[in-house]
Amino acid sequence: MSGILEILGKIYQSAIFVYGLVLLLVYALLAIFSRLAVRQYTRKNSLHQRDLLSSSPLAPGITILAPAFNEGMTIISNVRSLLTLNYPRYEIVLINDGSTDNTMEQLITEFKMVEVAYAYNVKIRTQPVRKIFKSTDPAYASLIVIDKVNGKSKADAVNAGINLATFNYFVCTDVDCILDKDTLLELILPVMQEENKRVIAVGATLRIANSCEFDEGVMTRMRPPRQLLPRFQEVEYIRSFVLGKMGWSYINCVPNVSGGLGLFDKEVATRCGGYDHSSFGEDMELLTRMCRYAHDNEIDYAIRYIPKTLCWTEAPATLKIFNRQRTRWARGLAQLMYSHFHMFMNPRYGKMGLIIFPFNFFFELLAPLVEFSGIIVYIVLAVTGNINWPYALLLLLFVYLYSVMITTISIVWDQLSFRYYKSWWEVAYLCMTPFMEFLIYHPLIVLYSLRGYYYFLTGKKSTWGNMQRQGFGKKKIK
Amino acid sequence: MFDIQLPAFLEPVINTFRYAPLVIQLAMIFIVIAAVGTLLAYFSILRNRYLGNRRDKRLAKLLPKIDNLIIDEVLTHPEAETVPADQVVLNLDAFQELPLDKKWARSALTERIIHFRRNVRGNMGLLLRSLYMQLELDKDAMKKMKSGHWEKKVQALTEFTNMDMSVADVTILPLTNSRNRELRAAARHAYIKLSKNEPFKFFDVVTEPLLMWDQVELLRIISTTEDIAIPNFARWVTYSSNKSVVSFCLKLIVHYNQLPAVPAVIKLLDTKDHYLRADAINCLGKLQVPDVEDKLVSIYSTQPLHCQIEILKAIGRISSGRHIDFLKLEFLHSTDFDLRKSAAKSLVKNDWIAKQVIEELMATATPENLRILKHCMNPLIKY
Amino acid sequence: MFIHIVYGTNAATMSKILLIEDDEIMPKIVARILPSSEYELDHVSNGKEAFEKLESTQYGYDLIITDIMMPYANGFEILSKVKSQPRPIPVIIVSNAGNEDMVMEGFKLGADDFLKKPIIPAELMIRVKRLLMKNK
Repeated sequence: MSGILEILGKIYQSAIFVYGLVLLLVYALLAIFSRLAVRQYTRKNSLHQRDLLSSSPLAPGITILAPAFNEGMTIISNVRSLLTLNYPRYEIVLINDGSTDNTMEQLITEFKMVEVAYAYNVKIRTQPVRKIFKSTDPAYASLIVIDKVNGKSKADAVNAGINLATFNYFVCTDVDCILDKDTLLELILPVMQEENKRVIAVGATLRIANSCEFDEGVMTRMRPPRQLLPRFQEVEYIRSFVLGKMGWSYINCVPNVSGGLGLFDKEVATRCGGYDHSSFGEDMELLTRMCRYAHDNEIDYAIRYIPKTLCWTEAPATLKIFNRQRTRWARGLAQLMYSHFHMFMNPRYGKMGLIIFPFNFFFELLAPLVEFSGIIVYIVLAVTGNINWPYALLLLLFVYLYSVMITTISIVWDQLSFRYYKSWWEVAYLCMTPFMEFLIYHPLIVLYSLRGYYYFLTGKKSTWGNMQRQGFGKKKIK
Repeated sequence: MFDIQLPAFLEPVINTFRYAPLVIQLAMIFIVIAAVGTLLAYFSILRNRYLGNRRDKRLAKLLPKIDNLIIDEVLTHPEAETVPADQVVLNLDAFQELPLDKKWARSALTERIIHFRRNVRGNMGLLLRSLYMQLELDKDAMKKMKSGHWEKKVQALTEFTNMDMSVADVTILPLTNSRNRELRAAARHAYIKLSKNEPFKFFDVVTEPLLMWDQVELLRIISTTEDIAIPNFARWVTYSSNKSVVSFCLKLIVHYNQLPAVPAVIKLLDTKDHYLRADAINCLGKLQVPDVEDKLVSIYSTQPLHCQIEILKAIGRISSGRHIDFLKLEFLHSTDFDLRKSAAKSLVKNDWIAKQVIEELMATATPENLRILKHCMNPLIKY
Repeated sequence: MFIHIVYGTNAATMSKILLIEDDEIMPKIVARILPSSEYELDHVSNGKEAFEKLESTQYGYDLIITDIMMPYANGFEILSKVKSQPRPIPVIIVSNAGNEDMVMEGFKLGADDFLKKPIIPAELMIRVKRLLMKNK
């Protein structure tokens, strides 16, 4: 009996060793790739005069899709800021997803909207659209408002918008996100500068809005969040976008374009059926399906990321909402892995099947389970007195310092190219955060992820009230 | 390996390391690497912010000075608008108060001059250029041209293009075939802008696709160069085997409203590439060539969807009123939504003669078709 | 003030012009083109400031020169608001927009003139004078 246990222990130990080593290497590689990708970006940036595009008749048209649910507090200033984006050819499709507050009334009076008979083709099925509005004031000619029956998901709202979109590219965002005024110029550039591939999606860095200053929907002062929980998230976002996504982008292996802001090729997105309203991680799910579609139809595609922060979003500031958000994300991931599992290690799907999917499976999906099991084994060993404490502590110290280093490096990449924040004090403040992240923030995420997996397995019919949907109205819960 | 004399306090560490299993040894090495890496990271943040802030401060001091000098000495020059720029004598001494012996200051001044030139042209623009030359600011760019680094060459070429500085063909031409894409593109743009001989020569030889971005830059350069001889772009529509060149020339034909190019564009309708064909149809529509309508209608039924849509749009743009029945039939009988919508739109564009037909259709249409018609007739809806 | 009295020009006869432009150099150029002895030039750099300025002066300008793409409110919004006043102020759009649609949009909203950047100083001068004359 003890012999078997010992063998199992050995196997477990070596498995964990290999697992850790691979993860370590991947992060080291990502750090290098992301540096190269960020350099490539800044170089292009300095050589090309991007405002050329804002005055060019050749600028491709872009449709902005902004779903709104009970955003009465901020809707007007946010639509205003969308109306002043720096781009010559775009339309804004605002989807009022059955708000129960005065969102719709405010829009109608402020922008002089009237109902119009708008003809569109339902390519993706959604909850019924009640009315479509356009402004009688030509100054707001680029604005279209859809009033639809609440579909209980962002996916359904955005799909309704896709059906109406005029242009070949659409940018998906949340109405409560604050966008940089050059967002459209920046996002379309990778599409226009790609040599041989068809760029089907482009993403950009997101950041936390909590302590930034805004004036009528325009960002006036960037600041790291003062509260600890949002600050953890800011650091996490920098790592995940500037180091993670940029690194993946360098080898054309981007796993996800965040729902907060992304530009998509409308044809591919429509052909593969748009967003899935039953998914808990609809952004990643769509991208996976778009890649699959591209592979199935032999489209030589690329997905690109840019390191510049173009979008600020309000992060959950209380544990309760944060818990909901992460549980939901984890559930979405599990769902995705389950429903697309045939892509796992399937050479037919190229990098998607051989790199992105396995990575996500082992190091995103399994990571919380592995960590959790590790802790249990640790405790068991500790109780039975089988731990070599100096070694264990050394290993722990190593993991701790390595994670701090990776996060700090991502802050460096970010700082080297953009010098965000006003003073170096604020950066120092941010740099302190990774030291606590490992001890406070990370365990929380593991816990919430496990909860998400549990819900996925038990198929808990969650009572997703509107308030709980990520991106919608979370501000108002505070 | 560890025979070197080490401080005593490190001894236990060394001993632990020596007798530890491989994993622990690795961990220990990485602990050191991670700690050093993190410290280096902090250092590079500090350094970068310091240098950046210093640059900002310097510029904040310098730029107002530059602006005032340019305004006082160039823009407000009594002869700025009356005397040809090359005969105006500028007071260069005033600029000596700038630290022009420093490279960063020179490049800041150059950038500022370019910025001014982006806002103002005519004699004042030329005067700004002459300031740039008289202060010998082009020397830096010349040096960059000779540098082995492609990035510097691109910067120099862009600067010359912006400043309208003539560069010998022999300098630019080899670069138009460079193996580096960015450099190649920049050299071509410079060639179009600066070459006195055949600015459009590279259209003949380029084999790789022109990116969308290249086209944006090219169009800007072609349309802002004042003394450029615009050729008949039909030449490349007919002879070029590079599809992106053909497609770009179609856009240029529209931009310059080159009616003499029409026969070449019509010939392109026979091409096998249906993307190019769609571009050709689009071009003919925008040029509003009435004679081509019959041909478009006759080939309609054999075209793929996106070409059909372009044909319907073209008929709307030409608006000769001779194919109302065709549009009506398409609107009534097509099964595809986009075709019906395009047909309806074109009918509405023909409404100077099709009023009655539209009214009749409104009275009899299915609910969906009625909505399409209303959509197309509503002036609030753009697309 | 003294000079004004001597030469018989005063604030009442000077034309008041509002320049709305977010580029930092353009205002300096315009200020140079339109001499301060003949024009009273106010400059704001975004839509919000423009509205504040217009409201605080009860739309008391003789001419507005505006860009199209600016933060807070774009040129179209400003145009639309200005042109819906009982006494519409003439507006010149100065922009680098090469997109015909945008220019058309501007005229649809009642813009009186359009100048493409880079501008020729004499041209701006002539158009400003012409519009001011017409509305005198």
